[in-house]
Amino acid sequence: MNTDWLPDSVAKLLGRLVDASAGERLAVSVAAVVASVLLGGVVTFVSGLFAECATPTFGPSCYNPLSVYYYLFLSPLTSSFSLSIMAEQTSLLLFTGLAVAVSFRAGLFNIGTQGQLVLGGLAAALTAVALGPVLPDGAIGGAIIATVAMLAGAIVGGLFAAIPGALKAYFDANEVITTIMLNFVAADVAFFLVSTYFQKPGSGSIETRDVPEAATFSPVVALLMGLVLVAATTYLLWGTSFGYDLRTAGLQTEAAEYAGVDAKRMVVASMTLSGAIGGAGGAVWVLMAVGRWVTGVPPLGFDGITVSVLASNNPLGVLLAGPLFGTMSAGSLSIDFQLGVPRQLVGVIRGLVILFVAMPEFFRMLGARWGLGGGVQ
Amino acid sequence: MRATKRFAFAAAVLVVAVVALAIEVLFPASPVTEVIRIVDTGYLASAVRLSVPIAFAALGGIFAEKSGVINIGLEGLLIVGAFTGVAVSYWLRGGEAVAVMPGVVLVLVCVLALLLVLAFLGLLGSGVRKIGTRVGGGLLATVGLVGLTVVLTDASQSATWLSFYVAVLMSVALSLLFAGVTIEYRADQVIAGLAVWLIALGAAPFASNVIWGTVNSTSVPTLDGWTVPLLSNVPVLGEILFDSDPTVFMLLLATPLSWYVLRRTSFGYWVRASGENPKALDTAGVDVRRVRYAAVLISGLFSGIGGASLSLGQVGQFIGSGSTMVAGRGWIGITAYLFGNYNPLGAFGASLLFASLEALQIRLQQLGYGLPPSLVQTIPYITVIVVLALVGRTRIPEAAGEHYDSGED
Repeated sequence: MNTDWLPDSVAKLLGRLVDASAGERLAVSVAAVVASVLLGGVVTFVSGLFAECATPTFGPSCYNPLSVYYYLFLSPLTSSFSLSIMAEQTSLLLFTGLAVAVSFRAGLFNIGTQGQLVLGGLAAALTAVALGPVLPDGAIGGAIIATVAMLAGAIVGGLFAAIPGALKAYFDANEVITTIMLNFVAADVAFFLVSTYFQKPGSGSIETRDVPEAATFSPVVALLMGLVLVAATTYLLWGTSFGYDLRTAGLQTEAAEYAGVDAKRMVVASMTLSGAIGGAGGAVWVLMAVGRWVTGVPPLGFDGITVSVLASNNPLGVLLAGPLFGTMSAGSLSIDFQLGVPRQLVGVIRGLVILFVAMPEFFRMLGARWGLGGGVQ
Repeated sequence: MRATKRFAFAAAVLVVAVVALAIEVLFPASPVTEVIRIVDTGYLASAVRLSVPIAFAALGGIFAEKSGVINIGLEGLLIVGAFTGVAVSYWLRGGEAVAVMPGVVLVLVCVLALLLVLAFLGLLGSGVRKIGTRVGGGLLATVGLVGLTVVLTDASQSATWLSFYVAVLMSVALSLLFAGVTIEYRADQVIAGLAVWLIALGAAPFASNVIWGTVNSTSVPTLDGWTVPLLSNVPVLGEILFDSDPTVFMLLLATPLSWYVLRRTSFGYWVRASGENPKALDTAGVDVRRVRYAAVLISGLFSGIGGASLSLGQVGQFIGSGSTMVAGRGWIGITAYLFGNYNPLGAFGASLLFASLEALQIRLQQLGYGLPPSLVQTIPYITVIVVLALVGRTRIPEAAGEHYDSGED
């Protein structure tokens, strides 16, 4: 331990605290978001040239990128209604972002969080509906129902993710493709189950009965659950030997096997864990956001990929990226209502963010050209 | 071992077909026969049609992956092709009469823009003269194709064909972006491929909303079918193969051509070497970077044809809800070429298998039988999963997924 506190050693200490590569990753993520948002603005402006409107609002364009930015990033913070939608979206993205992060950390591309969320949510809804008449009304009954429903969601999501995990481990089936195929299967199976056996009587859309009022909870509670999950995942990945094995298997399978990790079981275990988090996310969607399971589940699983990639698959990063995309999701409704700009714009930005995060070299070169930073290699 | 599995699977398919035929002949009155009768020439013709987008994605994917760039974004390229075709066709029909000239101009502008970007990236060689000749040659070829189209077809069909060309060019442009990102900026190929998919998945419904106010487009005319004289009179085969969509003919041409190019030409040799041992190729004086660009652009070209054939060739509409009308065909295409072990002929066969299940699914829904449609719909997807498990680990090209640095600069 160095005893003289010279500025030099302070810098060294700081350097050790702020892991250099983590700092660089953060810089890349911020740059990626800025670049995507700017490019999204260009996309908005250009598509506004093709849209039809009475009077163009921004030069020749029907869409004003500046108001789009305002509604995407700032307006959700201004009213309590949109704040609650933002909290709702953020908490869901914490769940799906963490689900993706766990699998990516293990070196597995689980693109099937969407399907795991769809089936997990359905399991939660059915459990809650079934338990409703059995348990007493009131807070305690509600809490029990919610807990059991969340567990059911996690179990179903986990088991559904274990399928591609086992196929990967024991049959070498590419998990990207199997999980995407299972997304389609999940949507179809859920549709079949609900429309055939669990349809809400008298409803025009395909949906289950409402879950008991007492079992539902507010976005704030969901947000707290998300925070606890972030802490738990961080601890699991960096504080336990299971997490160590998981990360090692993701970085270097051979090394992990050499160290005595059963790589095949690790693949299944990490996919199951990832799916369980995704399934729990589905339960939260049902219990907090909708109050029942209904077809046309929003693409929370796909947004989770963006959140995780933007966060360098780090749970603490998810804590930053989740609210960012939660705000944008909430804002996307207002750009549709207030400005007439299709809310799918957020989908475009989602893809752009991943593209930019995937190419750190691009920003490194830009930085070198502008003479910023010393990250030139 | 893997070859055995593949052979066993093919044999199993054959046995099922033979048994089915036997049942139909021996027990014409049984209920099973009724199911087997689904397989008639109409069914096979629709299976061939449905295989077009899948097979084109697969053929493109083979070129990219063989060259060392795993293009997992095929699904996105299909979406872009499908959407652009319908959007341009709708635009050309916006006025009183179908506008052909703006379409011609649009095609030429797109080609010119692409060529200029390629020249800027240094992919058309060095020296003003060389670049000039290539850009001029490219434009001249386009003028020839477009001129032929306008002369041979009426205004409405010309407009549809021109939209088809623009769709293919947009897919090529997106694949160029993907190539640039992975080759110039060393992006992780899987993540960048996912990004291409997600961008298309967001952008196509967004643009549909801008143009039509909903994620689905209005209807546009489809490409007229082609009937080959004489050959179309051949029983069964004639109806299935020679009285069909133009894109089916393109596929029948592209499949053996891809096989020939990959196996028998020096370009094909470069593509394979660039994926297996880029260093050796570099030492031999071939520019790995250019080969990889070319291979990825071919995947964009083929996927563009596949996507446009889906919307302009078959459906006459773009559907952008959910996973869009492409509905995983790009991913199925990847499975098809893995199953076909990177052989274009094998990939075509695998695409045909998946497409025939899709056709079966559609047919079963039409016939009813009390089967729930939402479960029947899962047949192709589950088959893809089973096939992936059967195929197991494929021997991917040695240097696939890795960035290659020639170390020159």
